[in-house]
Amino acid sequence: MGELALSARGVQMEYRERQTTDRLLAIENIDLDVEEGSFVSLLGPSGCGKSTFLKIVNGLLLATAGQITVRSTGKGRENAMVFQDAALFPWYSVLDNVAYGLVCGGVSRREARKRAAPYIDLVGLGGFSDKYPYQLSGGMQQRANLARALTVDPPILLMDEPFASLDAQTRELMQAELLRIWNATRKTVVFVTHQIDEAVYLSDRVVVMAARPGRIVADVKIELPRPRELDVKRTPEFAGYEERIWSLIQQPRPAGAATA
Amino acid sequence: MTRLFPPYSTAERIFYGVVSFVVVIAAWEAAVQSGVLARSLLSQPSRIWAVALVDSGSGVLWRHMWVSFQEFWIGFAVSLVIGIPLGLAIGWLPKVDHSFSGLLAGLNATPNVALIPLIVFIWGLGLESKVVVVFLSAFFAVMVTTYTGVRAVARRHLDITRSFGGSGWLAFRTVALPSSVPFMISGTRIGAGRALVGVVSAEILAANAGLGFYISASATFLDTARAMLGIILFGAIGLVMGELIRMVEKRFSAWRPDIH
Repeated sequence: MGELALSARGVQMEYRERQTTDRLLAIENIDLDVEEGSFVSLLGPSGCGKSTFLKIVNGLLLATAGQITVRSTGKGRENAMVFQDAALFPWYSVLDNVAYGLVCGGVSRREARKRAAPYIDLVGLGGFSDKYPYQLSGGMQQRANLARALTVDPPILLMDEPFASLDAQTRELMQAELLRIWNATRKTVVFVTHQIDEAVYLSDRVVVMAARPGRIVADVKIELPRPRELDVKRTPEFAGYEERIWSLIQQPRPAGAATA
Repeated sequence: MTRLFPPYSTAERIFYGVVSFVVVIAAWEAAVQSGVLARSLLSQPSRIWAVALVDSGSGVLWRHMWVSFQEFWIGFAVSLVIGIPLGLAIGWLPKVDHSFSGLLAGLNATPNVALIPLIVFIWGLGLESKVVVVFLSAFFAVMVTTYTGVRAVARRHLDITRSFGGSGWLAFRTVALPSSVPFMISGTRIGAGRALVGVVSAEILAANAGLGFYISASATFLDTARAMLGIILFGAIGLVMGELIRMVEKRFSAWRPDIH
């Protein structure tokens, strides 16, 4: 067992609906440990709170209960987010978008640009620094999105369905690219997705979640050898993992799990 | 950005504009020459042209235009200098919003023309009163449009700054400001139109100089040729301003390929 990069205990997120004042439990009591350097996917249907959990870890949302401990390195940000839609600023060039995370941390724009450049190359966008987002394909926009998070050099990378809006082919390519980049940087990754094959292909562990209320129902260790090529998806072992996770998702809800 | 219509070149735009203009002028002249249209009502292009030569030769026209020009630019510039920052502040800072929005909404709801007699009473018949009217005419359009722009900033863009730990001030400078630029430009365009209306109404109601005064004084003496000349000049000024703002718009919106 390596050291824990992230440890969540009893995390809960409750919303109050504006009109009815009904309470909506988006996340109920999540416990999760993520080992340093590991790739963990949160897999579940929409509404299971997987993105909400990620935003809580990131600090965009404040949990209504529970605690998250992150091993601090004492320098820079502990985590950085790769957003779902290519959330790039249309008024910035690729270079300025990628440098933006550092600018948020108080680094001067000039210095940030200098430090962003190698990450643009790393994600395969070399030569596109001066382009604007509208000039990039969806896959390239997500590469820039990833480069922005990598540039702040956080120990933990949070990825919120980053390939959800890409076509199937580009998505596969990006999955392989992500593994290559992960291999080069050795970040701890918490990856949110609703695609079983994506989760199995990428991860050391797939944490299966269910909705209403959002909770963890299973934690599956993926013991496929690394480095993984895309054709691992056509092996019986891979299919076995997919089936096992599929059956876990299909399981009937335990009694009393309906929303209050 | 799909284009429903093929883009027209500047040359084509000018060509079609000139052709329709020439057709209207020719039809007008022909209608008066043939007696279909009474000369006393709308005058005729050839007479307007003759009058234009006389009055520009004597300098009368230039003097009036110079007065209107000053009233317009001073009032309009002040409306931009105050309207844009105030719109930004009200849009970004809830406290400023609460303090000002009621007051401004009330003032905005009052038709500007209703204020002209009072403004003339306070500031007299000269430049100052016109500048005030022009300012009031343009100010609200500029401010309200800028305000709308700030309020329309995409949540997901603001989340990026927050996610990377950027300050509110940084979010304002790097997100709210650039994303409201298109709105500010719209506000400027609408404001310029209103300012022109302000110049005309104030000069026609109470003035001793300016192009609006030239129109009303000419009409008083049944000199329709000169009245029409003034009207046409106002139209031409409006056109030139629109074109100028379009150029500014292009310059500031490199990241928006849909503007041409």
